[in-house]
Amino acid sequence: MRNPYEVLGVAATASAAEIQSAYRKLAKKLHPDLNPGDKTAEEKFKEVAGAYDLLSDAEKRKRFDSGEIDASGAERPQHNFYRDYASSDQGHPYADTSGFADFMDTDDAFAELLRRGQRARANRRGQDMHYRLPIDFVESITGANKRLTLPDGSTLDVKIPPGLVDGQTLRLKGKGAPGAGKGGAGDALIEVEVLPDRRFTRDGDDISLEVPISVTEAVLGGRIRVATPTGDVTVTVPKGSNTGTTLRLKGKGAPHRGGGHGDELVKLKVMLPKSDPELEAFVTNWSKGKEFNPREDRI
Amino acid sequence: MNKKEFLKSSELRVQTLELWLEQQWLIPEQTSRGIRFTDIDVARARLIHELKNDFGANDEGVDVILHLMDQLHELRRALAQLREDIKGRSF
Repeated sequence: MRNPYEVLGVAATASAAEIQSAYRKLAKKLHPDLNPGDKTAEEKFKEVAGAYDLLSDAEKRKRFDSGEIDASGAERPQHNFYRDYASSDQGHPYADTSGFADFMDTDDAFAELLRRGQRARANRRGQDMHYRLPIDFVESITGANKRLTLPDGSTLDVKIPPGLVDGQTLRLKGKGAPGAGKGGAGDALIEVEVLPDRRFTRDGDDISLEVPISVTEAVLGGRIRVATPTGDVTVTVPKGSNTGTTLRLKGKGAPHRGGGHGDELVKLKVMLPKSDPELEAFVTNWSKGKEFNPREDRI
Repeated sequence: MNKKEFLKSSELRVQTLELWLEQQWLIPEQTSRGIRFTDIDVARARLIHELKNDFGANDEGVDVILHLMDQLHELRRALAQLREDIKGRSF
């Protein structure tokens, strides 16, 4: 970047007021929004604005003068100017046709061309509307039909597809705000929030839950009832199961994208009964139990 | 974007925004979930800020500038449309 004093055309001894006045003069000439047709003005304006940012800040100017910083990096960050939106083709609320309203009142081909441009904007598509919908965990796995009540009191029926994940957005075509003229309605975009479940957690298409079992069930095995998203099932706990033993229920998880289902992982947790004299007496006399050291390989 | 997000990306204070809305310098879209701003509003807010702070325009000046500028942009667009429509035709 060039020397900022040169860019603004002021002496190195210029006062703050002189710098501001020089900047205003140049900016009025070069500001892209005041010169929407001049493509080269933008580059020059950025240079001028950068120089002004540097010299209008007394602290930065002092550091520049003493050679502590140079002019590099003084350019303003890239951003779009108002003209980039206002001159583009989409209708916007600031469009003002009063500058050629008189031309449009006539009946010639020129007026027709101007009117055509206006009609294109008059037939604007409706706005997309954004909503949030909380659902239960189980509904996210099995799918569900939900009814969303909109702020204006109307309702929207939403079909939740099975296997939906938290934060996923559903698009309902044509359920957004109505369009203008021949423009169609916008879409309803529904961000679905899956509420956490007390029992289940999800990992990809698999779901898991922890199930407590008694010491008797752990040692001798047994049959227990286990919850799944589609209802309870009976599961066989194998003899000698332990805390952390995981049973896999095939196909009880969320649906895969290409067909089939994930699994439900049942993590067993052995629970002792409340203190029991008989159990204590048994363990006291159980020599094998005292020899067993589960921390043997951990030092 | 909603009001909070707009204030953040335009670096405006909420009082300033209220004032500009009242002046109709900014006209965000009204939706059933409140007012919504788009990128054009951010760019316009930045321009208004520059007009007031860098160029020394007062409120009346900003009013006039915005009005003329919006007409200018519309004329430019009509002109561009016209060029499209008469493309390839000879006179």
